Amino acid sequence: MQVLNWFFRKKGDTARTKAKDRMRLMLIHDRLELPPDRLASLEEELVAVVSRYFEIDRDTTRFDLQQYERRAALIANFPLLRSKC
Amino acid sequence: MSGRVIVITSGKGGVGKTTASANIGVALAGTGASVVLVDMDIGLRNLDILMGLENRVVYNLVDVIEERCKLRQAFVKDKRLPNLCLLPAAQTRDKNAVNAEQMKKLCGELKGMFDFVVIDCPAGIESGFHNAVAGADEAIIITTPEMSAVRDADRVIGLLEARKDEIKEQRLVVNRLRPSMVKTNDMMSVDDVLEILSVKLLGVVPEDEEIIVSTNRGEPLAGSVNERAGLAYRNIARRLKGEEVPIMDLDALDQTWFKKIAKLFTPARA
Repeated sequence: MQVLNWFFRKKGDTARTKAKDRMRLMLIHDRLELPPDRLASLEEELVAVVSRYFEIDRDTTRFDLQQYERRAALIANFPLLRSKC
Repeated sequence: MSGRVIVITSGKGGVGKTTASANIGVALAGTGASVVLVDMDIGLRNLDILMGLENRVVYNLVDVIEERCKLRQAFVKDKRLPNLCLLPAAQTRDKNAVNAEQMKKLCGELKGMFDFVVIDCPAGIESGFHNAVAGADEAIIITTPEMSAVRDADRVIGLLEARKDEIKEQRLVVNRLRPSMVKTNDMMSVDDVLEILSVKLLGVVPEDEEIIVSTNRGEPLAGSVNERAGLAYRNIARRLKGEEVPIMDLDALDQTWFKKIAKLFTPARA
């Protein structure tokens, strides 16, 4: 059974990659002392502001934190469909 | 003489701080350097046991601070290495028995007497931690490749970064690595941990049952020739002294039959 599990398991779904991904996200929040829902509310507000000027493609919007050395960077990507003015 | 004060810390308890302190102390002394091991885990002293010196403790660190004895009187000489000694912690006091100022002063004195002052820091990030790191020039962070240990290590690295003016260098030791579990993707690798923590690597110590045996004997592994964890600690000591020593290939040493045969034939191998 273990052999079968090993055989069919997706490459990105091992205990090792899972730990690494969870770790990365957790430490970014730890280092910034950022409560988990804070980022979502920032995204909402930013979307509201940008939406006053542009129509945004919400399906391909990217909004997350990435780690560079021991610093975090906010990566926001709002693909614009058309101007609203 | 001005020695180096190195604090060994981890945040989380039970990751092998005291074992690392004992072994790094023995390995450094094995290179010929004079070394004092300082147990700052006041109230929960254990370094004396690992060194097999528990029956020889007369005075302790708090006696020195409170001037009940001279500094030299509190040193406990190692059984094997004449250039190694222990400054034991008090067992019946608490973490506040020594403050940061007193620790700085003590480290200053010890630096004048030894090449290396190795401080075993208590677990946690409260006053005991802050007092233990107070006089240090460098820090060695011990972690295991487990999430809780890595998270706590990250917190400690952050706290030590805030003391950048005093603690010039921080390096990581990944302890209790199981190469076979990394191979099957069941455990984070050393590279994974380094990528997450973004800190310099000082060494990797494989999981080794011999550590338990050596603790029971009161003879740190770094003193014995063939054990791989002992070799890992000796490599760490050489790196601390500025030598370029490659991280050993743990995969090659992972098969037990290989280990057994290697034991028969190899002297210290890198």
